[in-house]
Amino acid sequence: MKVKAGSVKIKLVNAVFMLIGVLLLSSCGKVSNDSVLTKGIIYCSEGSPSTFNPQLDTSFITIDATSKQLYNRLMDFDPTNFDKIPALARSWHMTKNGKLITFYLRKDVSFHQTDYFTPTRNMNADDVIFSFNRIIDESNPFYQSVAGKFPFFQSIKFSELVEDIEKINEYTIRFRLTQPQSSFLTNLAAPFGVILSKEYADTLLAQGRDLTELDSKPIGTGPFKYREYRSGSLIRYVKHENYWRFDVQIEQLLFNISPGNTSRLTKLLTHECDVIAYPIAMQEIASRKDLVLEEVTSFNVAFLAFNTQVPPFDNPLVRKAVAHAIDKKAIISAVYYDQAEVADSLLPKASWAYSKNTNTIEHSQEKAKLLLADAGLADGFTLDIWAGSIQRAYNPNALKMAKLIKADLARIGIEVNIITFEWSTFLKKLAKGEHQSVLIGWSADHPDPDNFFSPPLSCASLATGSNRAMWCNEEFDQLLKQSLATNDTTIRKKLYKQAQQILAEEIPLLPIAYAKRAQAKVAEIEGNILTPFGGISFENVNKKALQ
Amino acid sequence: MARENIYQEEEFPSPIRQLWYTFKNTPVAIIAFSCYLFLVFFSVFGSFITPHDIVENNLDKLLLPPAWNDDGDVSYLLGTDDLGRDMLSRLIHGTSLTFGLSFVVVFFALAIGGIIGSISAINRGIKASFLNHFLDVILSIPSLLLAIVIVAILGPGLGNVLWAIALVSIPQFVHVTHNAIKEEQKKGYVLIPILDGASETRVLITSIYPNIIDKVIIQATLAQSAAILDIAALGFLGLGAPIPMPEWGSMLANSLDLFYIAPWTSYLPGLAILLTVIVTNLVGEGLRHSLKIQKD
Amino acid sequence: MLNFTIRRLNLLFFTLLMLSIVSFSLSYFFPGDALVNLSGEINADQQRTEQLVELYNMDKSVFHQYTAYIGQIFSGNFGISMSSQVPISDELHTFLPATIELCLAALFIALIFGVPLGFIAAIFHNKPLDKIILTFAMVGYSIPVFWFALILILLFSITLSWFPSSGQLNLLFEIEQVTGFKFIDILLSDSEYQAQALKDAFMHIVLPAIAVATAPMTIFIRLARTSMLDVLESNYIKAAKAKGLSQAHIIYHHGIRNSLVGIVRLIGLHFANLVTVAMIAEVIFNWQGAGSWLIESIFARDYTAIQGGLIALASFTFFINILADFLYAALNPLERHKKHGA
Repeated sequence: MKVKAGSVKIKLVNAVFMLIGVLLLSSCGKVSNDSVLTKGIIYCSEGSPSTFNPQLDTSFITIDATSKQLYNRLMDFDPTNFDKIPALARSWHMTKNGKLITFYLRKDVSFHQTDYFTPTRNMNADDVIFSFNRIIDESNPFYQSVAGKFPFFQSIKFSELVEDIEKINEYTIRFRLTQPQSSFLTNLAAPFGVILSKEYADTLLAQGRDLTELDSKPIGTGPFKYREYRSGSLIRYVKHENYWRFDVQIEQLLFNISPGNTSRLTKLLTHECDVIAYPIAMQEIASRKDLVLEEVTSFNVAFLAFNTQVPPFDNPLVRKAVAHAIDKKAIISAVYYDQAEVADSLLPKASWAYSKNTNTIEHSQEKAKLLLADAGLADGFTLDIWAGSIQRAYNPNALKMAKLIKADLARIGIEVNIITFEWSTFLKKLAKGEHQSVLIGWSADHPDPDNFFSPPLSCASLATGSNRAMWCNEEFDQLLKQSLATNDTTIRKKLYKQAQQILAEEIPLLPIAYAKRAQAKVAEIEGNILTPFGGISFENVNKKALQ
Repeated sequence: MARENIYQEEEFPSPIRQLWYTFKNTPVAIIAFSCYLFLVFFSVFGSFITPHDIVENNLDKLLLPPAWNDDGDVSYLLGTDDLGRDMLSRLIHGTSLTFGLSFVVVFFALAIGGIIGSISAINRGIKASFLNHFLDVILSIPSLLLAIVIVAILGPGLGNVLWAIALVSIPQFVHVTHNAIKEEQKKGYVLIPILDGASETRVLITSIYPNIIDKVIIQATLAQSAAILDIAALGFLGLGAPIPMPEWGSMLANSLDLFYIAPWTSYLPGLAILLTVIVTNLVGEGLRHSLKIQKD
Repeated sequence: MLNFTIRRLNLLFFTLLMLSIVSFSLSYFFPGDALVNLSGEINADQQRTEQLVELYNMDKSVFHQYTAYIGQIFSGNFGISMSSQVPISDELHTFLPATIELCLAALFIALIFGVPLGFIAAIFHNKPLDKIILTFAMVGYSIPVFWFALILILLFSITLSWFPSSGQLNLLFEIEQVTGFKFIDILLSDSEYQAQALKDAFMHIVLPAIAVATAPMTIFIRLARTSMLDVLESNYIKAAKAKGLSQAHIIYHHGIRNSLVGIVRLIGLHFANLVTVAMIAEVIFNWQGAGSWLIESIFARDYTAIQGGLIALASFTFFINILADFLYAALNPLERHKKHGA
């Protein structure tokens, strides 16, 4: 009995050692010829998307993950001159009065075929009309399935603007607007104006499935189709075989969700990621031969938003005092390592509506102290600054920025508590207005200057929860509306200048920096991924074979 | 001197003193013990002897490497971090947070655990049985997991982390005191004061405690090394000390982004933790070793 | 043996009872509404809230609430995650096996290296080799795992490129999740790159397992050393020596076997420590396990997930504890007949 047990034990031990031996031996073999690994790209992103439909979310994480991967829009932006170029619409026409816009659609666009939906027809006018009708028609079941929450379209008052959308024929549609709007076409070309499949929506209705599947199990026309999503871990897309534009080069596109800056960098250094979002230690990356660092001037601004509805920042004097106390130059060098410019307006310098001579607020502790005394807070007070924990295009390290601001404000007698949450919780709490002030920013979705004012600061955005300053100013709103009503650039520029002056006086938020958006990839990856607007795109990307 | 010689056979040093006599003859232990005292000194006076301010940013001196590097600056011996703060000053100051607070935490846990352990040792029956089961349960939950759950209830912050770790450390002291007292109660010498009519509490305090204190102290050193690691781990996970505080674990976490640009900002706090835990463990090891030699 | 089994099961029952009480009361300790904390349904409307009140007996006494809670747990309903709105049971099914896999791999490494090293130290008692092993054990025991893991990554992933630094498997391998255990899932899958995936999974587990194994390994070194020293000093070994058996023979036939028995008993006790270390290592190696999931839940203030994670991880350690006890009893007949358990 005893002998037997012993021999069994020995056999077991032998088996284990053999397994280890086999594994070790096989690990010496080369993997490079494997098509699974060479035909797929792993992109390490900074966070989980909240939905798979960019109509429903303005966050850059969602846009990056979905907009240009899964979908197409009627128009795209030219990457060099930011003009609108044809995409799903072959061409378009706008009447003189700017109220009727006709789109002529492509006929060769097919939707994704997946294990949860098989399309029987190509894209046509019905799909386009459905995609926008769900936003404006409150009786549409797909309006109700998301409780009418289309933040971007709400902030531009899309449903008030569009009177109806008419089907002229199978491949022609016409928007009828209640009034002309200069940014209308640009808004449609922005990453949110994606075209969904009406046939899929009808199938969901007919089969009595959960209607939110339209947005969580997406069907689009884009270069990749949805395969799998594990919250907080990965998104798996596979090639759309019948993509209308061209034959996509890669078979699989993986989003590896890695919120830690260091972990993304580590994975790039070990080539576990082919491309990473928001790299740190850029000097190190640039110095290595196997890695490539890319930068684009992106339309963004980082700012400190004051909650203007609760003390102490309901008092403009206090906001101004804090604005004077903060040393932006120091922030640019310590936080951005000089990869950014000092911001003096919400609008970046690259925008045509930027005007140089708005009154800027200089760094001066004396003025700050005087203003605080005027506000009756000469003895100082305690203040919460919220800072996000993940890297953003406009702010590589909000916590570090908060630390610098804490030191600045300590000099004028304000004690700062830095508060941070996990990103999605952070956004939820911000939308509820629980903060006193927050370090955040804005990345433009499209080149129209209105995008820098309406979404973050209009009264409409206060209702949708994207107004971080909780600020609503009638005069300011009026200026924005006037500017949108005209197509004359000189008039618009003048109006935006006035709007910027109101911001400079009221200071609902303090612009801090315009940052460049960077991305790093391994040298085998070819093709442009970064676009100036609307996030990243993998349709042109290919992976060279390893030598 | 002479007196001692004459009455040598009458001297009975207390167990703790006996322990010390053996302990100081072990060179490794005594070196570790001096380091330990050094750490205690830093914890108490650290904030007075640091060469630079630990919170104030110095934007002219960002990411200076340690002094032995070519680009280093002698007045910043161990370099600076990404906000230009002196690493040495922050590390010294951090001693009082990571090491000093672990000392305080263990002291509290020891006091409370000792009292509960004594009570349970005196009582018998269902109460003691329940307590034992309860402790078994607590002891088999991973301590950090428990601490994390407590932090989740109380909210992140250094104070809450300390409460959590103190609570988590209590059961082991209950266990040790309980078992040690039980063991002593079986011995003959305890019977004498009982026959004299002393109360159970009095026996406990005057007779038993002096004989079990060595075991409790050894447990305390073990608990302290665990507490240091736990404080640092929670700090590293961002659940402990708030951002500007130079707690070693959170210093390490904050410098992770600089891992490839300024490796010293990550190496140094890690080394500090490692050395402190080794020192604490060596002291404990030395004590245990001495105890064993004594028994033999 | 029957008596022993009953006593252990009694302990297990008591433990799980305590644990469920603790977990239940957490929903009252946590900030916010107890019902929301229990169910995790933050967006419930009026109608759904009424259903939930019914489900969890929230309108009755605390005792009834507790029994309702236990009922839900046993039917596999841990509520839904407050942040992702996915059922906790689904998340546990994904994350817990990964943790178990890592812990078992680490335990294996810790035992296979720790125990022989401990024996060697004991055999060369008070010789230089003993001192070296003890020094190694001391450093390994004291090193903070989060720092050690970073150094491992720097050395073996970045500098030497031997092992990947994160995750469980190259994501390009599409392996269907059946059991949640990566190795088993790969073996179950019928993909053409099965062998490659298996190798890849093995490469991924090496560094995390080493990081997790180090601290427990040092404990096993010391246990094995003490255990062997005790055995070598016992009378039957002296008798064997007196009989003239060779040292190697004595150690192989008597020493190792008898001291192993003592070690098995202590594996259970130190398993909690191993799980603790694994939780931190998971965060650093991006290991998608229950530990990193739990820590993320704390940042997201996801109280339902914290409750579920506590129950899952604690029960897992208990089961290993009990398992080790049974194994010990099976190996050591003396233990089975003892009247009172340790």
